[in-house]
Amino acid sequence: MNEPTTYDAIVVGSGMTGGWAAKELTEKGLKTLVLEAGRPIVPEEDYVEHVPPWEMKFRGLGNRRGQLEDQPIQSTCYACDEWSSKFFISDKQHPYTTAPGKPFRWIRGRQVGGRSITWGRQSYRWSDLDFEANLREGIAIDWPIRYSDIAPWYDYVEDFVGISGEALGLPQLPDSKFLPPMELNCAEKVVRGALAEHFPGERVLTIGRVAILTRDHRGRAACHYCGPCERGCITRSYFNSVNATLPAAEKTGRMTLRPYSVVHSVTFDARTRRATGVRIIDARTRASVEFRAKVVFLCASALESVRILFNSATPEFSTGLANSSGELGHNLMDHVKAGGADGTIPGNDDRIQLGRRPNGIYVPRFRNVKTRQPEFLRGYGFQGEGFREGWERGIAETGFGPEFKKVISRPGPWRFSFYGFGECLPNHDNFVELDRQTVDAWGIPSLKIHCSWSNNELALRKDMSIAGAEMLAAAGARNIRPFADDEPPGFSIHEMGTARMGRDPKTSVLNSYNQAHDVKNLFITDGGAMVSSSCVNPSLTYMALTARACDYAVQQLKKGDL
Amino acid sequence: MERREALRLLATGTALQLAPRNLLAVLREARKLLDSQPAPRTLNAHQDATVRTIAELILPRTQTPGATDVGVSEFIDLMLTEWYDERDRSRFLKGLANVDIRTQALSGKNFIESLPGQQAEILTALGEEMIENRGRKPDQSFAGNESQSAANFYAMLRQLTLNAYYTSEAGATQELHFEVIPDAHDECAPLPTAKGNPESE
Repeated sequence: MNEPTTYDAIVVGSGMTGGWAAKELTEKGLKTLVLEAGRPIVPEEDYVEHVPPWEMKFRGLGNRRGQLEDQPIQSTCYACDEWSSKFFISDKQHPYTTAPGKPFRWIRGRQVGGRSITWGRQSYRWSDLDFEANLREGIAIDWPIRYSDIAPWYDYVEDFVGISGEALGLPQLPDSKFLPPMELNCAEKVVRGALAEHFPGERVLTIGRVAILTRDHRGRAACHYCGPCERGCITRSYFNSVNATLPAAEKTGRMTLRPYSVVHSVTFDARTRRATGVRIIDARTRASVEFRAKVVFLCASALESVRILFNSATPEFSTGLANSSGELGHNLMDHVKAGGADGTIPGNDDRIQLGRRPNGIYVPRFRNVKTRQPEFLRGYGFQGEGFREGWERGIAETGFGPEFKKVISRPGPWRFSFYGFGECLPNHDNFVELDRQTVDAWGIPSLKIHCSWSNNELALRKDMSIAGAEMLAAAGARNIRPFADDEPPGFSIHEMGTARMGRDPKTSVLNSYNQAHDVKNLFITDGGAMVSSSCVNPSLTYMALTARACDYAVQQLKKGDL
Repeated sequence: MERREALRLLATGTALQLAPRNLLAVLREARKLLDSQPAPRTLNAHQDATVRTIAELILPRTQTPGATDVGVSEFIDLMLTEWYDERDRSRFLKGLANVDIRTQALSGKNFIESLPGQQAEILTALGEEMIENRGRKPDQSFAGNESQSAANFYAMLRQLTLNAYYTSEAGATQELHFEVIPDAHDECAPLPTAKGNPESE
């Protein structure tokens, strides 16, 4: 193969943050190699959002036996269904292990676009309530940045991504640069009214803030409400890297996108103390290939990027490249969920939803915002939705015959669900290490994950069920069912914190620009960089941090400082 | 006579009440149909006929297609063959056999040979037992768990029947007015009454 092996920059991963690094670095003039472990994606062939259930062999119930064999972990994710299971990895090919009694769900997508194809699209800014929390409470280490450092970068990425939502002017959840919000449905309006009446100035229900276009934006079309975004989007109405950032990078003529490239390690020159590039294993030929570049961006996800650095150990960095602090792989976080409440909202029987709005509601964090909660630190936000029950309710009923068919084909009562997403505290004892006994299909050592919830996360989950039920009661709901289920970490698919930022190289892996303290031309801009977790969905922040890091890296490169 | 019509008449038991000449025609059509269709892989002919009959009783043909029209039994056979594990498949088949045992006790005949009134009586009894056997949570999972006895066969059958029906093209588009790409979106739209709802005409 007569393939060029030297570039200005290498980006590992083509998902949420890899796509941004590719776009920013190429637009700023760098010849960039983007390495993706999985296959290419051709939207015209791979996107299946318009395939109706009757064209699926198991009508959407999935190939159960095949999945039990090949995707027993991945298929626990709602999006890994009969349509979209192809956007998730084979658990057989990508094993990992966990500590006894500490289950962890690691949900992954390996293809061009990564998990940005199946992400939940919820997009929220952090605030200084989040950035200052560790310092205020004396937990872990302080963030080296504040809201004012990232705010212009939120503006920058939002302008490109397109986020629809409602401006509320809340200090704990700053507004984005919004496209028009999607509408609330009848039941959601009832609950919104009840919160305004019973919890004024404390709790507010708003439409979810989502990376879905409500009007045409930068060459991408407004959403047509077909519903299942996680199957792809041929009109590119929701943001993912295949739909938006990678085409922008491609347009510069400076991107080389190389699928089937499983990155084994980052190569390092002990003399210059710089990364020289990466070593990959070609997923198809199994050949080992080395690429060189002036700067390396790891955007492979919090766990995969760390795994690469563990596998890049040198005599100088025997526990993993750029790990002089010993914090690499530690402080793993995921949002705690599985707490909330649901119920029936009486009334509005003559109203329905037309179309399938691919978005729900949001109740911004209200705990430990203005008042202090004695049982726990930090807080949670509620996602959720109102909806009319469908034909599924007929399964548990006993009726049959023409009248039953007529009734059950019509919409049932309005239901409403609140699902909390809570902040997870950084904890040094939640960590990953290399498991040399367990290798993936390419012979690369995998990870052993040690992670469990602390009492603070469990207290948040319990409070979600109480507060959720309380709000439903205020809205006049019937059959209220609070729930606080036992669910291990990993299910929110928001893993982060394993290569945290910080001011002090002794206690952190990265500086405030996502640059490794130990290896100046090495950047990690995925979830690994996070110092705390906030309670909001993290992707928007990862994107903003990535764009900011790229800007910094190119400046440093021009100055000759990398 | 349409093949589908023949099949429907057989499935509902209505065929048995036809004049002998018509019955012959129905059976002839049915045989042709059986020849042209891939044979069920798990259900034998009698089990298949029983499943068809129950499914059609639950979701009969009205102004819109019924369970037989949309191939509910074929879907159930697929699920039993390729989706369920041995334990759930056996639970289903035992429950199905039990339907005949009950009907025999009531009328001295198998379910598919019983009169519609007797069939309805059996379904009502199965429904009552389903409610009695239900734990605190309704059984919403397709795969059964250990605690579920053969008595929950009826819940399983209802789940399969409703799922097969409402995810079929006819069930989804004619009954639920499902559109792959919605014509419009409106979060608080008035519920259509007569329009697109043949039953209320």
